[in-house]
Amino acid sequence: MLRSFNWLDLESLLRGAVWTIVLCVTAGVAGTVLGLLLGIASSSPSRVARWVASTYVLIIRGIPLLVIVFFAYFGIPLMFPDIDLSAFLTAVIALTVFATAYMAEIFRGSINAVPHGQTEAAQALGLNYARRLRFVVLPQAMRIAVPPGIGFLIALIKDSSLVTVIGFVELTRSGTTISNLTAEPILTYSVVAVLYFVICYGVSRLGSWYENRSGSRMDTTEAENQPHALQLEGV
Amino acid sequence: MTFYFGDLLPFSGQLAAALWTSVYITLIAMAVGSAFGVLLYVGKTGSNRALRSVCWWYVEAFRNTPLLVQLYLIYFGLPELGVNLNPTWAGIVALTLNNAAYTAEIYRAGFEAVPHGLVEAGQALGMRRSQVFRHIELMPATRNVFPALTNQFILLFLASSIASIIGLPELMNAVLNINTQTYRTFEILAVGGGLYFVVSLILSLASKAAESFFFRWGVSGRA
Amino acid sequence: MITVKDLHKKFGSNEVLKGIDCHVDEQEVVCLIGPSGSGKSTFLRCLNGLETATSGTIEVNGHTITDKKTNVNVVRQQVGMVFQHFNLFPHLKVVDNVMLAPVKVGRTSKGEARAKAAALLDKVGLADKTNAYPGSLSGGQQQRVAIARALAMNPAVMLFDEPTSALDPEIVGEVLAVMKDLAREGMTMVVVTHEMGFAREVGDRAVFMDGGVIVEQGPPSQVFGDPQHTRTQNFLSKVL
Repeated sequence: MLRSFNWLDLESLLRGAVWTIVLCVTAGVAGTVLGLLLGIASSSPSRVARWVASTYVLIIRGIPLLVIVFFAYFGIPLMFPDIDLSAFLTAVIALTVFATAYMAEIFRGSINAVPHGQTEAAQALGLNYARRLRFVVLPQAMRIAVPPGIGFLIALIKDSSLVTVIGFVELTRSGTTISNLTAEPILTYSVVAVLYFVICYGVSRLGSWYENRSGSRMDTTEAENQPHALQLEGV
Repeated sequence: MTFYFGDLLPFSGQLAAALWTSVYITLIAMAVGSAFGVLLYVGKTGSNRALRSVCWWYVEAFRNTPLLVQLYLIYFGLPELGVNLNPTWAGIVALTLNNAAYTAEIYRAGFEAVPHGLVEAGQALGMRRSQVFRHIELMPATRNVFPALTNQFILLFLASSIASIIGLPELMNAVLNINTQTYRTFEILAVGGGLYFVVSLILSLASKAAESFFFRWGVSGRA
Repeated sequence: MITVKDLHKKFGSNEVLKGIDCHVDEQEVVCLIGPSGSGKSTFLRCLNGLETATSGTIEVNGHTITDKKTNVNVVRQQVGMVFQHFNLFPHLKVVDNVMLAPVKVGRTSKGEARAKAAALLDKVGLADKTNAYPGSLSGGQQQRVAIARALAMNPAVMLFDEPTSALDPEIVGEVLAVMKDLAREGMTMVVVTHEMGFAREVGDRAVFMDGGVIVEQGPPSQVFGDPQHTRTQNFLSKVL
């Protein structure tokens, strides 16, 4: 039976919002760690490491997230019939695979943005590659990576709505359920949109606050913090 | 596990048609959305306060909510107001409105990077504000943002797959249909992903060629 | 041609022009000299309304541009301006840079504007660069195109804002030569410059500004040869 939108619906939308946040934090952290490794690999002296990393990045950034989500959803059970993966874990895996590629690209760019003189100075001091990376290059690259990283996190939050197709009940999926029950799509999806807006706008304010505080404002604009689709550099 | 692509051969025509649908909805959304985006930027920086505020909210609202939710509002919400769009039109409208918000933001950066001296030179020649905008600022700004615009173009092409969720018969939608008919899940996803990848790659290469073609004046150095 | 009365200009609380009175006759070449920050560029930019005067009146070619009712664009069509950094439109070929204003503002036909542009480019010695883009020209060539662009509107006055300051020393001469020709043809010119040689040789009058006021003015031979004020003497002893 149809019923009207009520406070309980708002509560379940909020619960959906919390799941969206949990999902994005999990995939965001995993994607950042793996992306950092790939970013280091794609700026490393090893040709093989560079090739592997940049091929992964190129492919993932050249296909839609939905394809990755469906690969995870249909593919993992086909490959590992014994594992019963929850919708949450499937979603985390798909978003992590996606986030890793974009974060790797951000880290590669940040590492390359550290002036070469820094590396040379460290070399002159006798630091080996690992130490140069650990003590000289990465600390500077990390700061450079923050603004585009925040930009990507916002994109990830919005893109995480796509895991609705595999039935994981995050914010958008909660909205669909309630919209079907109440037949009030405008109201329901407007509330959903407002919740996304609050989360995303909040994260972007947080990012600006960080930039102002740390004085790490580069000449990047928000538009440039858009995730970059595939490009051919570094292949 | 074995892979067999032979079952997919009968569907190649369907895939090609669906790919074309993906491309043309992206082209429409890019062309119309970019023009609309420039207007949004103009409104956002104009002298009319109410218009400025409307444009600001438009851009922030579309940039801080998922395309899927925008699509739902247009496809499921508008009928509540008596406006029924079929999936194709709902998809085109959503992609266009969404793209406009991002383009406005991209163009903002591009216009801000146009040297103020060019504007002054135009003013000193007695040009009106609108003439300065159209004849002097627009092209250098477009050149400034061309890489960002083509990046947005590729992201938009990939994002057009989201319209499959409301049943727009584009590439992703065809891939899912073929999957339920053949159960060649890996194969069809690989083919679908491959097609997206190849088109993105072509777009990326084409945009580089287009850049050096359209902006020859900027290649030999900036004035 | 130009009459300025008690001109003041403030940027926030910073008063850059502190009461300027000045008159420029038709066909006169006036050179504004003075240390950087003295307000000479701001003064020049007030003359075509790129800066809005805080108080005072400016009359140019019969138009009072400090009057809010005056259409500043109409005045600007009669006042050509040449900038320190050329400010050529990078996306337009040299000829289109010169044609843009006559076609879009002056409502001249394209054919007519093209012929005029060709003549002007010939005059500044760049007939062979008609179809080049500004980015491929040297600074001196760009500045000569900028002069042709300003002349295309048949201005009654030409304003030059440090036209040679951004140029390498060896190409300053080619721009000054074009300006010298203009002066000889009887163009009314106001030139902010650090080229004391040019001011001396071509100028009808030198105006020395410092701290937002005109300290001293007169025939160049007198201002350079026998400066009356210590501030002028100090400045000249540093630059000459």
